[in-house]
Amino acid sequence: MSFSDIVERIKGVRGVTEVVTSRSALFITATADALKPLAMEIYQIMGGFFRTCIGSDERSINNCFAIYYIFGLDDRGLNIVVKVYADSKKPELPSISDIVPASDWCEMEARDLFGIEFTGRASYRLILPHGWPNGVHPLRKDYSYDSRPVTRAVSERLTLVDTISTVPIGPYHPALHEPEYFELYIEGERVIDVKYRGFHVHRGIEKLGESKLTYQQVNFIAERICGICGFEHSTCYAQVVESAAGIEVPERAKFIRSIVLEIERIHSHLLWVGVVAHLLGYDAGFMHTWRIREHVMTLAELLTGSRKMYGLNLIGGVRRDIDLSKKEKILEVLDTISKEYIELASLMVSIPQVRMRLKGSGVLYKEDARKLSVVGPVARASGLRRDVRKDLPYAAYRYASFNVPVYDDGDNFSRLMVRLDEIKESISIVKQLLDQMPPGPIKVEEFIVPEGVVAISAVEAPRGEDVHFIITGHGRPFRWRVRAPTYQNIPALKHMLKDQPLADAPLTIASIDPCFSCTDRVLVIDSSGSKRTLKLGWGLG
Amino acid sequence: MPNKVIGRSIWVFHLNSGSCNGCDIETLDVLTPYHDAERFGVKLVVSPRHADVVLFTGPITIESLPKVIRALKAMPRPRYIVALGSCAIGGNIWHASYSVVGGVPKLLEILKDEGVNVDGVFYVPGCPIRPESIIYAIALIKGIAKKKVKMKVKKAEP
Amino acid sequence: MKKNPLSLLTIASSKGRVTKRYPFEEPLMTSEFRGKIEIDESKCIGCGACVNACPPNALELLSSSGTKTLRYFIGRCIYCWRCIDVCPVGAIKGTREFELATDDVSDLYELLIHEEAKCSVCNSPYATVRIVRYVATRSPSTEGYVSMDPKCRQEKFVKAIEMRFGGLSA
Repeated sequence: MSFSDIVERIKGVRGVTEVVTSRSALFITATADALKPLAMEIYQIMGGFFRTCIGSDERSINNCFAIYYIFGLDDRGLNIVVKVYADSKKPELPSISDIVPASDWCEMEARDLFGIEFTGRASYRLILPHGWPNGVHPLRKDYSYDSRPVTRAVSERLTLVDTISTVPIGPYHPALHEPEYFELYIEGERVIDVKYRGFHVHRGIEKLGESKLTYQQVNFIAERICGICGFEHSTCYAQVVESAAGIEVPERAKFIRSIVLEIERIHSHLLWVGVVAHLLGYDAGFMHTWRIREHVMTLAELLTGSRKMYGLNLIGGVRRDIDLSKKEKILEVLDTISKEYIELASLMVSIPQVRMRLKGSGVLYKEDARKLSVVGPVARASGLRRDVRKDLPYAAYRYASFNVPVYDDGDNFSRLMVRLDEIKESISIVKQLLDQMPPGPIKVEEFIVPEGVVAISAVEAPRGEDVHFIITGHGRPFRWRVRAPTYQNIPALKHMLKDQPLADAPLTIASIDPCFSCTDRVLVIDSSGSKRTLKLGWGLG
Repeated sequence: MPNKVIGRSIWVFHLNSGSCNGCDIETLDVLTPYHDAERFGVKLVVSPRHADVVLFTGPITIESLPKVIRALKAMPRPRYIVALGSCAIGGNIWHASYSVVGGVPKLLEILKDEGVNVDGVFYVPGCPIRPESIIYAIALIKGIAKKKVKMKVKKAEP
Repeated sequence: MKKNPLSLLTIASSKGRVTKRYPFEEPLMTSEFRGKIEIDESKCIGCGACVNACPPNALELLSSSGTKTLRYFIGRCIYCWRCIDVCPVGAIKGTREFELATDDVSDLYELLIHEEAKCSVCNSPYATVRIVRYVATRSPSTEGYVSMDPKCRQEKFVKAIEMRFGGLSA
């Protein structure tokens, strides 16, 4: 199907009122009736993936709520954004979760935070704390950032079923490193169902947008979405603003970003391999992986000034350069880790106990993976070749040649192998980029961000694709939405845990490399303080 | 000689109350070969009932608050809190958001209302904390190191 | 790729001891580390540029009668060093200090008290003495205005225009 065929087919759907094309995205405005046919067309006929949907309170601009649905045609590197309006008095839209199961969570998020109801599906509370009053929606513009209707949440229990035994995992549990609550329903030794209550790490940072937060300051909050893959978030945020404002980032800055992104990926995957070894009871493996990882942490500090939370990105470029001595140090460290880690990794996967625990457990079949639009190593272990670095190249990735490891079994072992292979690829990418790094400036200082521009950007984080969406405002974003990779992957756990032995559950939960702090963030910055009128237009990203 | 707060081996329980993970992985890093906090008898335990000290990370979200209080109630006396990182001390970037309490000093007021006594609090700044910062804090608790920071009031002469 | 599980012992013994004996020896730290900031009280003019740039509000400018206090709360600092980037007089410098643990949260505050200048007309405080001097030395032509608070300054300016052109509406 050619690009013009796609545009024609979309224009042919009844209810589509506007189609705007740009370099890497297709922006569609449609009526609520057209939503289901459009979802059917893009998701099922064109074979697109679902990225996310975003609610937005635009009553100050056009007296409506709006929802933006983002689809991606990965094989041709195209994003499709569908905008649908909902009435300001009684916001209601048809749910597309029957066609696109992956939209389940983000519809509920829009319901919690904006009060938009979705018809034709079961609704439940996803994000706000237990006991939060009905009808209070914190992301509406008329909600003040510092009002706290609940100051003491009460402990809650999910529905208990009497006939089967229930095993609660969390919120504080030795196998979890973050506060999240899983309830496993067990029959004998088999897990028959799973319920999840997350969003303990929902920090909602509207306050900053309301007070002093500027475009540049958001970089640092974006980085603090996650302590493991924070640099991906800040890069993605910087890129989305740069694409909205049409800023040309110097090539050298792009190379530095890519190099640091890959170094972060190495550290993140080594961390994960260590944690999995620990969960298998193989603590020697844990200690040795983390010993190797320490070299990467020290290297990151040398390059950026901090072991984590690099604070390197600004809109328009980066803050620190890589000079010759640092380059030599990078090569030296990469040589050490590639030698030591290959030795250790091949030893680890050859241990029969490790293989037995990982092979065949926590299987996610390809069709389920596609249905839930899972991302990152989880998708690649289930046979889906999805990688933003290849599909929608950003930063300096088009200068590097690398493979995307794909395994077909969908079990925990495949997910381990995908990550082990990716470390090798990352090391080779850093080396290639260091060789080709052009001289020149590392940032542009002068730029203007126009108001009311819609843009999206995606970055491949260690856990999968990370999507940032922005509507620019005056001095700060009007609407900023982050879709973290784990957000897309957690619903897949239900399929992975089903009919598995209970003993494998912690391992399977860990195998998606869950990062709950990313998922729960719901970082939204709103500029409701300003009374300016805003006109919305599509970006050229 | 600085004061020794806990003389014996310190058993710690790690309580994440909505942290970004940065401090948590550095806490874990302290137990790995390069830093090896077990040199000081520090042991990570899996239940607050076994712990002398709770390592506290995160700005305390409203959702996690009741669970945090329950975990602290379960600890035996004397109970110590070590607030790790900017979030746990001052609430970091989210200090005024609608869904966080905003740091251990504010939590202590809530604990007072709940009737939960805390015998001592240590604050370890950093964003995220370096593993060495944690080791320094351990050394402080064990009376090996001396406190270095002190409130400073300076006057700019006009 | 068959390997003997015991070969882990070979790996371990070849690496030897890697543990740093900190606090009894130097920490594993590079020269680039960003630690606590140090505000030079002889240079700071109390302009508030750092306060506007600080993402977590660790630096705050508090006003009280006749003084303006720049408060640095280490316990909220994220060590991004943006304040250093934006300081117009280079009064802030970064250190590699990380040994900041304490048992008392008030140890983590640093205060820098600035005296405020009083308006030459209405005698109300409006800016720090140092920033007034800074502006006056940088642009001597504003000398007539810089000693007044914004309101008096505005009135004087309007009057000056009226004298010259016969009113703003003209």
